Amino acid sequence: MTTDPKGSFGPIKPKFCELLAHPEVKARWEKVRKYFFLRESTYDMSNRCNIRCDGCYYFEGEKQFAREIDDVDAWRRLMRAEKARGITYVVLAGAEPSLVPQLLKVCYEEMPLGSIATNGFKKIPESVGYKIHISVWGNDETSLRIRKAKNLLKEQIKNYKNDPRAVFVYTFTRENIDEVNEVAEQLVTHGCKLTFNVFSSPVGYAGPLRHDDESLQRTKQRMIALLNQYPQQTLFSVYNAVAHTHQKGLHDLYKCSYPRQNPSQDIGLGRSFRQYRADLNWDRAVACCVPDTDCGDCRHYAAGSAVVTARLYGHVNNLASFKSWLDYVDTYLAVWVMGYEKGENLCNEPIKPPRVAGD
Amino acid sequence: MPENLDTKGIVRHVAEVIIGELKLEDVTPDTFNPEMDLVDELGIDSMDLATLALVLQDEYKIVIDEDDYPKLKTIRLIADYVKEKLVAKG
Repeated sequence: MTTDPKGSFGPIKPKFCELLAHPEVKARWEKVRKYFFLRESTYDMSNRCNIRCDGCYYFEGEKQFAREIDDVDAWRRLMRAEKARGITYVVLAGAEPSLVPQLLKVCYEEMPLGSIATNGFKKIPESVGYKIHISVWGNDETSLRIRKAKNLLKEQIKNYKNDPRAVFVYTFTRENIDEVNEVAEQLVTHGCKLTFNVFSSPVGYAGPLRHDDESLQRTKQRMIALLNQYPQQTLFSVYNAVAHTHQKGLHDLYKCSYPRQNPSQDIGLGRSFRQYRADLNWDRAVACCVPDTDCGDCRHYAAGSAVVTARLYGHVNNLASFKSWLDYVDTYLAVWVMGYEKGENLCNEPIKPPRVAGD
Repeated sequence: MPENLDTKGIVRHVAEVIIGELKLEDVTPDTFNPEMDLVDELGIDSMDLATLALVLQDEYKIVIDEDDYPKLKTIRLIADYVKEKLVAKG
C-alpha cells in the first residue's frame, strides 16, 4: 500500500494508473469494461404465477393489480422504444415469465441481451437465449412449506441441468442457511451453476425469513465456504459475500442509484432505468429492480449488481478494494450476460465496503 | 501532467483522453465538438464518466469528486472544471 510521503498520516490513495499497472488487474479491467455499455430496465411479464411463495415481492404493493398485456405487437413496440432510448439489457421478471413464452420470444428478437427470473417449474424454450435465473429457496421440503411447490428442486434441475443459460440463485433466508450444503451438492452434481441471493424483506414484512445480524454472519460464512468448495460452479466472490451480508443494507452502504432512492436524472440508472408493470406502465417513484422491497433491508443480488458495480470511484482507494470490486463486476457479468465467463477471483480477503471502511 | 494548461490545451487533452478511453474511431481531437453533450449525444454513461474522471485525476493531479460527475457533460465543462481545480490548487 502506498504511504503518505510527507509522513505519518497513514495510507494515501494510489493513482488509478498505479492500480492498472498490475497486469492481472489491468487484464480484468479491460475484460469487464467492454460491458459498460449495458443499460438495464426491468419488465413484469404477467400478473400470474404457478406457485405462491411466502415473502414474494411481486404480490406486494400495487403492481400485482396491473392488467396483463399479452399482445405481442405491444411488447414488440415497447422493446423497440426501449432500444431507441438507449436500453441495451432487459430483465424479465414477475410474476412468472415462463407462463408467457410468446412474449419472451418477442423480447429476445428485439433485444438480444437480458435475463429472466423464473421459478424454474416450466422450462423456457431454448430459442430464448437470455440468461435464466432460477430461484431456489431451500431443499424440497422447505420449498413445499414456503412455496407450496412439490419436488421443486428436482423439477428445476430436470429442466435446466447443463443448460448454459441457467444460473441457480439460492436465496438465503434466516431459516434455510443450513440447507444450502445439500442443495449446492445436488446442483453441482448435475453440472449447474450457482450464485447467491439474500432475502430482503418486502415493505412491512416481519416474518421468519427476515434476517438478523446472527443469520447474516452465518450466511456469509456459508457463502465463502461454498465458494471455496465449488469454485468452478459458484459464481460469487468474497466481496459479494461481504457486501450482501453486512449489517447495513446495500442502500446504506453504497447509496442506491435506482430512481426510487435517487432523484437525479442526470446520468446512470436515475436517468435511464424503468420498471414496467405487466400493463406496460411505469412509475419513477417506485422504480427499482425489486419494487416493494424494504430499502433498509435490501441485500438483493439484483440490486447489488447495479448498485455496487456503479461505485467504481469508491473502490479505487487501494489495490485490495479495486480487486474486490473487479471480482464483483466479473461475478455480475457472469451471472447476467450470456457467454461471459467468470475469471478466478483476484481478492480472497474480505475488505470493508468503502462507506464503512472509515467507520 | 500535460504541458498545456490553458483552457484550449485542456480541451484538446480531454478530447484525446475521451477518444483513447472510449476507443472512438470517427472523431479526432481537432474535430471533436467541445460543446457536444457527452451523455445525450455521445451516449456515455456513469461508468464511462467515472473512468474518464479517474484518468483525468491522475493526469492533472487533481481530485474529481464523484458528486461532481453529473456536471461534466461536455468537454468544455470538463475543461473548465479541471482549470478551476488547478487554479484552486495553485
